[in-house]
Amino acid sequence: MNVTEDELRLLMSRGLNGDAAAHESLLRSLAPVLRSYFGRRVHDAAHEVDDMIQETLIAIHTRRMSYDRARPFMPWAYAIARYKLVDHFRRRGASIAVDELEEWHAAESFEDASAARLDVDRLLSGLPDKQQAVIRSTKIDGASVAETAAKQGMSEADVKVSVHRGLKALAAKAKEQ
Amino acid sequence: METDDLILRLAREVKPVSARALETRLFGCVAAGAAVAFAALYLTLGVRADLATALTSFPFWMKAGYTASIAAIAIVVAAHLARPDSRPGRWYALLIAPTLLLAIAAATQVATSPTAQWPDLFFGMSASKCSVRILGFATPVFVGLMWAFRSFAPTRLRAAGSAAGLASGAVGAAIYVLYCREVSASFVLSWYTLGILLPAIAGALLGPRLLRW
Repeated sequence: MNVTEDELRLLMSRGLNGDAAAHESLLRSLAPVLRSYFGRRVHDAAHEVDDMIQETLIAIHTRRMSYDRARPFMPWAYAIARYKLVDHFRRRGASIAVDELEEWHAAESFEDASAARLDVDRLLSGLPDKQQAVIRSTKIDGASVAETAAKQGMSEADVKVSVHRGLKALAAKAKEQ
Repeated sequence: METDDLILRLAREVKPVSARALETRLFGCVAAGAAVAFAALYLTLGVRADLATALTSFPFWMKAGYTASIAAIAIVVAAHLARPDSRPGRWYALLIAPTLLLAIAAATQVATSPTAQWPDLFFGMSASKCSVRILGFATPVFVGLMWAFRSFAPTRLRAAGSAAGLASGAVGAAIYVLYCREVSASFVLSWYTLGILLPAIAGALLGPRLLRW
């Protein structure tokens, strides 16, 4: 998932202009993103996940005229993936029980979250490795300062300072953009 | 098949897609369906002989305006629903405008006519046939739209089906205007609207089955 929205969008618009190489690398970059999307939700045999990845890639390819170049790319791709996911459940005759609705809402916000994560990845990549690691651990993965300190082999004070400096740098970077 | 092989195969056929490809395809398919519907009208009922005179009359433009504006709104909604990530919502609110204008015209006509003429205003000469004929002329347009959607990615199939049905109903009705001699706004408000809604209901029922991908 080390690709950003901007890169994917650029590949998509090149592909739409007839650039086969860009289109190919778009599909290649999407395959792991889709694998993690479906892998998280479908707990079936691996080949089922493969089928859904392939069906989604085919849909993204054959229905690419439904992408509007003026809009972000990943929400479009995720909308197609979600359709394929719902279709998968429907075909298996599974109805979604009411108590699973919560999960569905969570799944939907996961898409926004992953789009956001692409941006976060891009911003974080400009920071020193140590700051990246502690911010990821405390702010994204939700570990405590103590846990992070133990994992990174740093003192707790060191973690706090690193997080603080890192966030400050991020804020400055985000403001620039 | 391996995903890598699939990607290679897909990347072999990369044709350029223009920025307005979706709209072009949608309009093209509506136009093709409308052409078939017009040919059917021409060969069966025929275009009214006094069309030239009718073109200068209020009832003709009332019917043409009502049906064409609904068609335009429904086509815009259908174009939105053709994309997986869009929320058309508010566009349907525009339908209030033509309906309200027609309702005002109908109310004015009824208010200024003697009570004895009210049944004529409502039933005209063709109340029993109008809606069914509109449904008939809507059919080729609906087929065209379903064909267009084969390259789109609708995710709300019932909504997309009903928008396509509404669009075909309105286009079918606009074509039927070339034959129909009814002059009363109440007639149009009831029987044309019914004829436009029938394909919209059919589209809502058929959408989930026909538009699946």
